[in-house]
Amino acid sequence: MKKLISTALALVLCAGTLAACGGKDAGGSSAPASSATPASSAASSEATANEPVTITHWYWADNSEYSAVMQEMVKDFNATNGKNITVVAEEYPWDGGKYSENLFTAVMGGGGPDTASWKLTATPLFTANNLLANLDDYVANWADKDLIEPSLYDVMKQASGTDSIYVMPWNTQVLYVYYRPSMFKEAGVEVPKTYDDFLTACEKLTRDTNGDGKTDVYGFGMRGSKGGQEPWGSFVQARGGNFEDFTTPEAIQGMQDFIDLYTKGYVPPTATADGFNEIIANFKSGKTAMTVHHTGSSAEMVDTFGDDVAAFPFPAGKGQWTSMGDTENVMFESCENKDAAFEWMSYLATGKGQETWCVATGNVPVSKEVQQLPQFQEDRFMKASIEGAPYAGIFPILDTTTEWISNVWPNTVAAALTGQMTAEQAMQELQKALYA
Amino acid sequence: MQKKKMTIWPYLLIAPALIIVLAVVFVPAVNAILMSFQNYDLRRPNQIGFVGFDNYVAVFQDPIFWRSLWKTILWVVFGVGFQFVFGFALALLLNKNFKGRGIARAVSLIPWVTPGVLIGLMWRWIYDGNYGVLNDLLQKVGIISDNIPFLAQQTTAFPSVIVTIIWQGIPFFALMLLAGLQGIPGELYEAADIDGATYFQKLFQVTIPSLKNTIFVTTLLRIIWVANSVDVIFNMTEGGPAYSSQTLSVYIFNKGNSLNLGYASTMSVLLTLLLSLVAVPYLRNMFKKD
Repeated sequence: MKKLISTALALVLCAGTLAACGGKDAGGSSAPASSATPASSAASSEATANEPVTITHWYWADNSEYSAVMQEMVKDFNATNGKNITVVAEEYPWDGGKYSENLFTAVMGGGGPDTASWKLTATPLFTANNLLANLDDYVANWADKDLIEPSLYDVMKQASGTDSIYVMPWNTQVLYVYYRPSMFKEAGVEVPKTYDDFLTACEKLTRDTNGDGKTDVYGFGMRGSKGGQEPWGSFVQARGGNFEDFTTPEAIQGMQDFIDLYTKGYVPPTATADGFNEIIANFKSGKTAMTVHHTGSSAEMVDTFGDDVAAFPFPAGKGQWTSMGDTENVMFESCENKDAAFEWMSYLATGKGQETWCVATGNVPVSKEVQQLPQFQEDRFMKASIEGAPYAGIFPILDTTTEWISNVWPNTVAAALTGQMTAEQAMQELQKALYA
Repeated sequence: MQKKKMTIWPYLLIAPALIIVLAVVFVPAVNAILMSFQNYDLRRPNQIGFVGFDNYVAVFQDPIFWRSLWKTILWVVFGVGFQFVFGFALALLLNKNFKGRGIARAVSLIPWVTPGVLIGLMWRWIYDGNYGVLNDLLQKVGIISDNIPFLAQQTTAFPSVIVTIIWQGIPFFALMLLAGLQGIPGELYEAADIDGATYFQKLFQVTIPSLKNTIFVTTLLRIIWVANSVDVIFNMTEGGPAYSSQTLSVYIFNKGNSLNLGYASTMSVLLTLLLSLVAVPYLRNMFKKD
């Protein structure tokens, strides 16, 4: 009997391992794969303009100030739309991307909102499950559609892997290079105009400032942890490489440049593990002279350095590319009042909501009209963003992209930086994992 | 009639607990086993279906799986091993009479009651290669001249997270073993003293044999918990750099997060089997009559 008890006890304890994994299935096993229908065909079920309509919207906010801004925008929209539309905006934490997973679980389970704030990387998962409303007809008939660059619509289509628009642009964050003018002056370095200038600047800005034989300032704050693929992409493309084939000699050379910066000591030795917090902390503490990020950090940079911080777009080599961080909005196929939902989405994309949100967050507006406002034209960081916007892009959004970004890229690049792999082997590994 | 009622009652009383266990352990566990035989990748919902042993074949051919498995073995052996050694030493210490013992006992529990996520973040900053207090201390006492990027090097990342899990688990062993120590009759030590036993003779002939069952249960629990632990590693290194600190549970977590639930379930089944191979003989041995 005791043997039986001991065996049963052991199995129950171990089953916890399985239960933890099996429990993840909740919500995922029943796929209510309703077929995607053009938005116009759903219009027949729309409420008429005079009937009160409620639209539920999910969003995340990076801080409490942004939360308040969103709620103010909702109030403004509800008061001014003139179509009896009431938006109820519900905030959920971004939680390192868990937002998209929670949204997926909610919508798959038959709940979830009518519209939601969005990241393009989530698109393949939702379109594969026919959860997003097709916006082609809405955009085609929309008076403001030309206020948004056609290239942005192309990016939205690219993200869904179809010729249709399922995602509505809202705002972008174009990556550029932050630098310390005082350090450039001390090292006798000009603001880089070309990619070669940039590599040279990384070397010259790496200095032992107190003569103790140790490096005190590193030329570049490299992000080798999760999210580092964005600045890394600029190196690959600057050498003439592309993201369709990482194994071209040009792309491999871009990777080699990245490795050289690490092995020659022009970046902090912690680079393999440095994520967002570390690159920003290193820049703010004066440990690095340059780093790559977007306008989201500009306010704290100015708080720290005042005028001794500036920005330039990632310079061109054979090619030029910078990463476009993105935030969009989507409408779900399950939304019963699609006309009203699109009204809200257009308010965010080109209406008052566009200006309010971009002014508050410092993100780059997608509306050309809003881009021309003085506060965007006169800000040095926004200027670098807008200059970089024409060649800003995204990584291929495939169903493998999330895992590639989260696990494959950081570990493969760490192996390459530390000499466990050559640049070529690393690029072959990255190619295989992304296009599996 | 009365007799029949008496036979039903025990079953009725355990029914709620049994139903809950079935619902939260048995059903998901069976589901995970079923998913391990399916191409259950939510990123490719149209391709979900039974694939037989394909996932198992793929896992066995996956070099990252074998690497993670090896790391898991090291993680458990060194993690739990040192937790036991230091936990036992702490329990012996806290069992002595000294001034402030109550406070010492309470303070020693801090690592155990601190959430794993917080421990991960805290130690991540302690080890930080630029601003970490450990580098600062080592430089001040002259052991190193340059900062060591503990969590950014493959050679130091894994030992660093093992030290953290050891630190976290010491109080659990100490607490359990202290409770066991207090249950050992004083007469046994008196008899040993009369026989002229030394401290170590008493330790190995009286204390440890008396604590056998406590040691067995505590160690088994820690083996299972540590093997399944994700929070500390994930918050310190996310399994990197270059998979150098990735245990099997972290790999499962990453695969599950990537929505490849079939593959993650397959590895979970294998990890469960592995833990069962340790746990079943271990518990049988524990209940074996001397």
